[in-house]
Amino acid sequence: MSETLVIRGTSSKYRITVIADRCKGCGICVLVCPTKVLVDGGEYNKYGYRYPLPENAEKCIGCRLCEYSCPDFAIFVEVVED
Amino acid sequence: MAVVSKEKVGAKPIHPLDRFLRLDRIPTLWCPGCGLGVILGTLLRAISRRVEERKLRPDRVVFVTGIGCTARTTFYVGFDGAHTLHGRAIAFATGAKLANPELELIVLGGDGDIAGIGGNHLIHAARRNMDLLVIMNTNFIYAMTGGQAAPTTPEGLYTTTTPRGNPEKPVNVIRLLSAFDVNYVARASTIYPHLLEQYLYKALGMKGFRFIEVVSTCPEVFGRHIGMRSPTALYSELKKRIRVKAKPGIEDSALDWSRGIVLGEYIENDYPGYTELMFRGVERK
Amino acid sequence: MRRVYARGNEAIAEAAITAGLKFYAGYPITPTSDIMEYLAERLPDRGGLMVQFEDEIASINAAIGASWAGAKSMTATSGPGFSLMVEGIGFAVITETPLVIAYVMRAGPSTGIPTKSTQADLLQARFGAHGDYIIPVYAPSSVQEAFDLTIKAFNTAEKLRTPVILLSDAVIAHLWETAVFREPSEVEIVSRKKPKTRPEYYKPYEPEEDYVAPMACFGEGYKVIVESLTHDEKGYYRQDTPTQRRMIERLTKKVLYNIDYVFEYDTYYTEYADYIFVSFGSSARSVLSAVRELRRKGVKAGLLKLKTLWPLDEDRVRNVCRRAKRVFVVENNIGKLVWDVERILRDKEVFSISIIDLDLPTPDEVLEVAMEWL
Repeated sequence: MSETLVIRGTSSKYRITVIADRCKGCGICVLVCPTKVLVDGGEYNKYGYRYPLPENAEKCIGCRLCEYSCPDFAIFVEVVED
Repeated sequence: MAVVSKEKVGAKPIHPLDRFLRLDRIPTLWCPGCGLGVILGTLLRAISRRVEERKLRPDRVVFVTGIGCTARTTFYVGFDGAHTLHGRAIAFATGAKLANPELELIVLGGDGDIAGIGGNHLIHAARRNMDLLVIMNTNFIYAMTGGQAAPTTPEGLYTTTTPRGNPEKPVNVIRLLSAFDVNYVARASTIYPHLLEQYLYKALGMKGFRFIEVVSTCPEVFGRHIGMRSPTALYSELKKRIRVKAKPGIEDSALDWSRGIVLGEYIENDYPGYTELMFRGVERK
Repeated sequence: MRRVYARGNEAIAEAAITAGLKFYAGYPITPTSDIMEYLAERLPDRGGLMVQFEDEIASINAAIGASWAGAKSMTATSGPGFSLMVEGIGFAVITETPLVIAYVMRAGPSTGIPTKSTQADLLQARFGAHGDYIIPVYAPSSVQEAFDLTIKAFNTAEKLRTPVILLSDAVIAHLWETAVFREPSEVEIVSRKKPKTRPEYYKPYEPEEDYVAPMACFGEGYKVIVESLTHDEKGYYRQDTPTQRRMIERLTKKVLYNIDYVFEYDTYYTEYADYIFVSFGSSARSVLSAVRELRRKGVKAGLLKLKTLWPLDEDRVRNVCRRAKRVFVVENNIGKLVWDVERILRDKEVFSISIIDLDLPTPDEVLEVAMEWL
């Protein structure tokens, strides 16, 4: 297993991790996020898929719908420890 | 204020479910937007909770699948697994469970594998109330082989083997199983993963025959047949056609793509499972 | 051990119990149902489970599942049932599953005559499933052999991690003879090799020096993969020619390398015989009688009775027949074993004595044909 590109978007409350090289660009996480944290950043992973960027991480409410709806184990949300 | 960082990480578990996966086989072969990844992730979460409660031992979990896209699940899980013959996962799992009742058998299959070629084994496992958890992925098509008509394909649909429209009606497995005294029959969807997890979690704590039909998205093949190859388009379309009902009756169970598909827990009982009957013995009349 | 007066099917069932059978999956079919019924009564008392399934397809797949859960498993059937099980046998082959299938031949093709005998299914027993593979096929010709070869079948299945066919027929199934049934402590019982490595290093299909891979089962913490697709030593699906070649080599070599263990036969009067008769199963009984009659008449005849029908130790067959002037192959079918014998004994005159008989060819029928060529 070689190196994997990982994107993290962190706010004061939550950290969204996108394992970019696992993403297949289905767009479902971007669609289901209730607060529009994720955007299509226009960048490609090593397989040629466009992965989401958690650009608006400060809007994240920690619902984890992205994590639950992702078919590829490519995104998850953690609570930021104080 | 949000901070976005990028880094290259070496080979190690990153995602919370990675500890249950064979990471050397990830990414999965499933298409972008395929519901199977959602089913797998949700199932692993349910298993994880049961393991933490000490109700389930990871060593005792066995995944048994037949052939098809759903069947490839065994490739990815870090548990004992069997990728068996088309339609025969239920028979294989029955033998394994009876030979070692401590195992927890989870059968996954597509609608063709479970209700088509595997129909007879499905019927008899239900008739026995065999101690299996069967998860059927309903994506309305035979996807792995390129888009032939499946037992659940909507009437009138174009498929590669029904180019002039599907003349057959889809099978309602929920209704079929209501003919037997089984312990759990539910229908969920990958559109509502939390509901699916709830059902899976409950089923993993039960004995006897537990069946969950998961209505799911297949953008590349089914989506292509209905003119919706985009994962988000098919996702939104499926979302429009499903609804959850608290206590649905069998009269709500039709698998009707046009009129709507009702999710919910249709049957719930606590009959003795077949394993118990085999080992305890029955009253001879 | 005890001396009994029993029938062939009973011998198969008793021997299976002695060998350690713990799970039987079956479906009623004449002339094998009584094996299942016998085990339904006896197996639970010996710590095993007998389950009747909805069809033969479920039976073979359940037996394979049970084997992977750690149980010595078996099923028994006849022609129509075996034809249904054939895909399952291929599955047992590629997953290297220890399994015994008792195949009691009955007159066919198709439904045929359920209560009558044949030897037509020799090639199906060997090659029923698609793909390249070699599985052992044993053929008893008496109640005692039915007992002994069933134990041998279980041992072979466990030792070589392969499905094994015990090829009997409707005559032997219900033939009553005296025999000696042995207890587990009185015979050699072989069980599958378990892994000596830790789970992190274990590969379910990596053979050791004897060409057989150790077998971890479900529930032992080894995360085994039972894989019906072509796979590498880890059990991962691979679609390249080198992997396919390695896998086919693994599957066939483990049986061929152990041919000395697998190949069993008996010879009667073959030393210095001018005419050797080759036969198997119930036909061999009549041939022995015919050979003795010929000897009484002063003809130097002998019998090579094959108890293993596949793989054949061709050198040994050639050796037994080396001094023979003519070789006769007697079988209750249109002539199938004779193709092997013709090929193996290229330099000899080989004659086919194919007698289709719903019971077994009689010694007189054998002699009638043989006399023309002596």
